[in-house]
Amino acid sequence: MNHDATPSNTRSHDWKVHGYVAEYADVDSLIHACEKVRDAGYTKWDAHSPFPVHGIDDAMGIKPTILPWIVLGGGITGLLTAIALQWWTNAIDYPFMISGKPMLSVPAWIPVCFELTVLLSAISAFLSVLVLNVLPTLYHPLFNVERFKRATDDKFFVSIEAADPLFHETNTKSLLASTHPAALETCMDETKSAKLPVAFHYVGVLATLLTFIPLALIYKARFTKSDAPRVHLVWDMDWQPKYKTQKQAKFTGFADHRTMRQQVAGTVAWGDDPDASPLTTGKDAAGNWISNFPLQVDAQMMARGEERFGIYCAPCHGLDGAGLGAVAKRAELLLASNKAAGWTRPASLVGTLEDARLRRDTPNGELFNTITNGKNTMQGYGGQIPAKDRWAIVLYVRALQRAKFLPDAEVPPELKDKVAALPPAGK
Amino acid sequence: MAHALTADELRQQTTLGEDASSWSNRLLGIGLLLLLGSAAYAFAGPEGSWRQFQFSYHIAFCFFLSMTLGALWFVTIHHLVGAKWSTTVRRVAELTMGSFPLLLVLFLPTLFSVLKGDDGLFLWVSHEKMESSHLLHGKIAFLNPTFFIVRVAIYFAVWIGFARFFASNSRAQDLNGDVMLTAKMRKLAPLAIILFALTTTFAAFDFLMALEPEWFSTIFGVYFFAGCALSFFCSTIVITMLAQEKGRLQGIVTAEHYHDLGKWTFAFVFFWGYIAFSQFMLIWYANLPEETFWFRDRFEGSWISIAVFILLGHLLIPFGGLVSRHVKRNRAALAFWAVTLLLMHWVDLYWIAMPVLHEKGVEFHMFDVSLLLGIGGVFAGLWLKRAQGGLLAPVKDPYFEASLRFKNM
Repeated sequence: MNHDATPSNTRSHDWKVHGYVAEYADVDSLIHACEKVRDAGYTKWDAHSPFPVHGIDDAMGIKPTILPWIVLGGGITGLLTAIALQWWTNAIDYPFMISGKPMLSVPAWIPVCFELTVLLSAISAFLSVLVLNVLPTLYHPLFNVERFKRATDDKFFVSIEAADPLFHETNTKSLLASTHPAALETCMDETKSAKLPVAFHYVGVLATLLTFIPLALIYKARFTKSDAPRVHLVWDMDWQPKYKTQKQAKFTGFADHRTMRQQVAGTVAWGDDPDASPLTTGKDAAGNWISNFPLQVDAQMMARGEERFGIYCAPCHGLDGAGLGAVAKRAELLLASNKAAGWTRPASLVGTLEDARLRRDTPNGELFNTITNGKNTMQGYGGQIPAKDRWAIVLYVRALQRAKFLPDAEVPPELKDKVAALPPAGK
Repeated sequence: MAHALTADELRQQTTLGEDASSWSNRLLGIGLLLLLGSAAYAFAGPEGSWRQFQFSYHIAFCFFLSMTLGALWFVTIHHLVGAKWSTTVRRVAELTMGSFPLLLVLFLPTLFSVLKGDDGLFLWVSHEKMESSHLLHGKIAFLNPTFFIVRVAIYFAVWIGFARFFASNSRAQDLNGDVMLTAKMRKLAPLAIILFALTTTFAAFDFLMALEPEWFSTIFGVYFFAGCALSFFCSTIVITMLAQEKGRLQGIVTAEHYHDLGKWTFAFVFFWGYIAFSQFMLIWYANLPEETFWFRDRFEGSWISIAVFILLGHLLIPFGGLVSRHVKRNRAALAFWAVTLLLMHWVDLYWIAMPVLHEKGVEFHMFDVSLLLGIGGVFAGLWLKRAQGGLLAPVKDPYFEASLRFKNM
């Protein structure tokens, strides 16, 4: 073994034989050599090639890998995670209905299930390949052989380790020699691995200690209170170089140093109504609610009011205006079964027997304004109902009020039988 | 079979014998008999027989059309990417895609009924019905007999043209072994794949989607293509295995090739499911009446059992069945899945088309079987006739040796 290559950078350590390395010029001789080594019964050996070689598994007698089973496990874990995640978040912890689909809406879940299955399969495949191939390996004795570096370039190698029970200094060597290698070398390994420099230990301890700082801060925040603004790692748009209302402007461009500007003459601000009239505000020139109608009242307007009332008002106030529409009825049901709280019942627009005057004295203009801008918990409908239709609704509400407590004398004779059959007023 | 084949063995393994000739005559005879018998019953039988005939015939036609389109796609993609492993099975695909002229002839009855103004199969033939709704009125410019004939002519011109181009060059190579023929085919493959994609997409719209002229789904062409590729791979597995039963292609198509055909089959089982679900999911979620009715019709009554059967038999069960490497390398197991998936592909087409005729629920008719077997008999008989005119594998292809030696990782 005199002519065997010995590592050039000899340190003060002892060297031992790691194994033999045979070099081949092409794939066919590599496969041929592998078959021979396989048939000789070696177990701790390997073939090295710059690219994947078809048929090498058979030539080396490699058993099928367990990787597919690991990937299958990863995929099933991903699938179950996706199902559990969506089921728990959407149907159990925070039931939330999305576009009328059921809570357990399997078709909607499938994309997430698919993606998580693929993701966990891919991650488990990637990590398993690293673990099964013992990667990353920072040192390997084979790289002590200079010519072995061409294993990633244009040469093919077979290496047999001395740790193999069949390894024999001369027999193994002659076996490899019989495969007609282009070169045959002994690979040497250091008996003791080099010591880690002391500095690395200090750095390691320091880095470990530093990782406790964020944890400690988070832990402290769990039981202390602070008025200080939160720590902004990312500022987003929390602070912007801009002026706010009612502040003094340090900017010298404005002579009056106000941050807010006066309305420019001849312009209309958002929300202003240059055409304000009783028709759109319900108020006269002096600012008082008007009690008449700014439009011509006729049967057509009444019919329109009835229709609009049915669409916009009746769901809460009820078709008769007494305050028991479908929404109100459902709310009372929920209240009774403690499933909702804080419900304010919609107002009766027609008054009650006890207080028949309620809302009947309200001027037309004020009723109109309530429809436009809302009142208490009722939202404004000005944006949805045109002014003419709002007046039509006011007219229809007036009709409802009148009809609710109509004296018998005023009931048209042809409707008397019908009215008598109705339940008593106020119920 | 590990040893290299001698020239004599190669010739024996790629040439059909005398029995093929009698088989092809028998298949042709049975097929024609079934077709003519069914046609006679369609005219003489009870009320509604003709319409039932039209639908059953159209589904059977689409079934064999899809397989043939899959073959054209496979040959094109083989040349496009310069594939090597598939060289030994490419001739089977080339023989299958020789069926386009037959399919054109088989489409003529449907074409004539459209010309005659028969709206039994394609509702859009009736101008009156097309004027009945705003949505249909807007489609008259596309769905009218004149433009339909023009489109069908373009489809078949492209398909027959490219199929002949690839098959005849490949056969010429059997004789002279000219490498430049491969280069020539590779040069035209990009154009072929683009035209293939366009014609197949629009053919799917015309032949299947237009059965419900109100309905539209832009992904439908891809959905149909998934079935084309799947049925092609399954039919190729079945054909090569039958040939090997008869002592042909042995040592030429090996477990390695079956493994790869199995991988393709597996891939397209899932691709089909992916596309089918993509189509369903968007329509289901958006919940627009002009789209959802198609699925509603196919989920109502007994059609829901067919839909669930497809979900299980076309996707979930074959996915689990084909995932293993051992199944793909096992002849019996792979043959089982190939036949199963061929049947499932027919069920898929049946589920797409037949609810137009039987809105209330599934109603199987003897035409469904007799016409499938009838067209199948003629299809297989002419396939064998074409196969007798040459070799069963492109033995002088420059990649033939590489394909023989091919091994999976």
